[in-house]
Amino acid sequence: MLVVKLGWRNLWRNTRRSLITIAAVATAFFFLILLVGMTMGLKDQLLANGTSLMLGHVQLHHPDYLPDRGLYDTLGGRDGVDPALSGQLEEAFPHIQAAAPRVYGFALLSTGEHSAGAQLIGVDPENEPRVTTFLDTLHTGQPLSPQAEGGILLGEGLAEELKAEMGGEVAALTQAADGSLGNTLFIVRGILRSGLSHVDKTLAVVHFNDLQDLLVLPGERIHEIVLSLDDPMQADALRSRLNADSALPAQVEAASWGDLSPQLRDYLAMFESSYGFVIGLIAIFAALGILNTMLMAVFERSREIGTVTSLGMLPEQVLFSILAESFFLSLMGVAAGLGIGGWAMSHLSTSGLDLSRWMGEMSLMSTRMDPVVRFQWNWEMTFWAGFTLVAASVLAAAVPAFRAARLDPVKAMAAAKGV
Amino acid sequence: MKSKWSLTTVLFILALLSVALAPSTGTGLAGSLPAYAWGMTGDTDLDPVEIIDRVDRLLRGDSSHARLEMTVVTEHWKRSLEMEIWSKGTDKALINILAPKKEEGTATLKVGRDIWNYLPKIDRTIRVPSSMMASSWMGSHFTNDDLVKDSLLAEDYDVEIVFDGIRDPEDGPVWELKLIPKPEAPVVWGSILIQVRQDDLMPIWGRYYDEDEVLKRTLTFHDFKTMGGRLVPSRLRLEPADEPDEYTEMVYHELTFEIDISDRKFSLSQLRR
Repeated sequence: MLVVKLGWRNLWRNTRRSLITIAAVATAFFFLILLVGMTMGLKDQLLANGTSLMLGHVQLHHPDYLPDRGLYDTLGGRDGVDPALSGQLEEAFPHIQAAAPRVYGFALLSTGEHSAGAQLIGVDPENEPRVTTFLDTLHTGQPLSPQAEGGILLGEGLAEELKAEMGGEVAALTQAADGSLGNTLFIVRGILRSGLSHVDKTLAVVHFNDLQDLLVLPGERIHEIVLSLDDPMQADALRSRLNADSALPAQVEAASWGDLSPQLRDYLAMFESSYGFVIGLIAIFAALGILNTMLMAVFERSREIGTVTSLGMLPEQVLFSILAESFFLSLMGVAAGLGIGGWAMSHLSTSGLDLSRWMGEMSLMSTRMDPVVRFQWNWEMTFWAGFTLVAASVLAAAVPAFRAARLDPVKAMAAAKGV
Repeated sequence: MKSKWSLTTVLFILALLSVALAPSTGTGLAGSLPAYAWGMTGDTDLDPVEIIDRVDRLLRGDSSHARLEMTVVTEHWKRSLEMEIWSKGTDKALINILAPKKEEGTATLKVGRDIWNYLPKIDRTIRVPSSMMASSWMGSHFTNDDLVKDSLLAEDYDVEIVFDGIRDPEDGPVWELKLIPKPEAPVVWGSILIQVRQDDLMPIWGRYYDEDEVLKRTLTFHDFKTMGGRLVPSRLRLEPADEPDEYTEMVYHELTFEIDISDRKFSLSQLRR
């Protein structure tokens, strides 16, 4: 106990120097908190952007459906699946917040002279917005009505290519499931503008029942069910459970967003792995500051250390008192950093940091990024960052501490006298 | 310059459009080929390009009318379409679907490199964009591209006789001609191999390869008979190499040549009958 007390008291013998060192550690920790906070914010945003537009968090398909999206590879194969499956899954798995069915079909769209091939997406207008946001990007017009009534929403680029107008007709021509030439007329109800040119050039959305009619597919044959989860990070776990539990009918397979977009998964993993490196680097700088301070302190106190040792203080007591001093020094720095960091984070996590003045419109991984980054606490990372700082500081102080403990009292006192 | 590719392509396309059938006929050919070329067998040195040249010339400027049945068999369905085809030259064709009921009145118009489809159910005419040229025509194994290509492609291939002799005694002596695209030629195939009977220049089969020399599809010609005054293969069968159980077959029921058709026949207004 004595050594701890000694360490604490020694800290305040050179208040100015100690405060400066504390400030340095505090600054380092403050920046770590902000850095982790921003990375977390970006990561969450990237994940949200990457999954919310169209991907969802988990998708169900026929095992052969991807990547070719074959017309006949519907969920459950030839017999299809119970249309109530979406609802059943929502109830059976608490992580699942919403589920929406989809039908896909390649068709030639035409307004007469102007034609374009497009992948038609048949959605359930009531459930799709609970899972994804692409229907919310409606730029002009109205959303699809809940009942199938021949409406179509076109991406802005596709509408331009077709010279399609609101309320105008678009003919769709496709190879139907029975081999016949499926054809029908859709009325343009709205124009979608997601801001992503490759999406807007190809997006053509209709009611899934309309698309089933066009493709001559019976009502129970759908290609995809998209699920959204309360926590996207649970997607892999849920996918494994769905596939293992025989929770799904035959010929239905679940895939997580990470399976469907490995780039997105890799990218997020890269974000996380960068933490350790940055924390380590900052800890080294903080520790160098502490090392310097403690070397100074020990040098100054040589005579005093010589005196207390000759009066009977044990070398390990000297050692531990110095380690304690450094421990307090870094701990107070971390505490101060936490205080300022917490204050800053409370602002940055609510109103966010607007990067637009530096970066303008950002698009990353072909999803549009919100230029306002909302910082997020990562308590685990914050704890480890603080711990690393303190540990590195104590470790750095070990060098001067050992030197002090090994001082020969006579020499130390003599040397000090000369100073 | 005419190459053998033009023979195949033209045969194939014209067959599809019913024009092709006319030109490749033995009787017609026999009449127009010079004596030195006609009746020649494998032991004569005949310039392969010249064979094509003769045939190619015969293919041009013809008009025709045909009724045929196209049967398409895929992994998932099988169906037959009854159709009627008018053609003029190699650049104009009009195809009308007569049966089944569901698709009666559906029509395809080809003028030059443009294709329009007319769909009676929605009473709309749709122009096929260039991006869809590689897509299936009417659900068959033929592509839109097969329709629009005309004999100009003859200029895109170098021709070489790679076999001269007897394969199947029933066919008599045959030539096998290999067509290699010229370096600058804008073509989809890496090479094409065609077998032609020497006696009457009837094609027996054409094999289409990609750039890696992988067989993509095989077109075979059957049931040679005289229609419209010419010997023609009245049955053609196209088989994609990657789907062994699938094919598209066309059987000609009626065929007439050199008929008088007005250019107005090949207009958008005529599409909607």
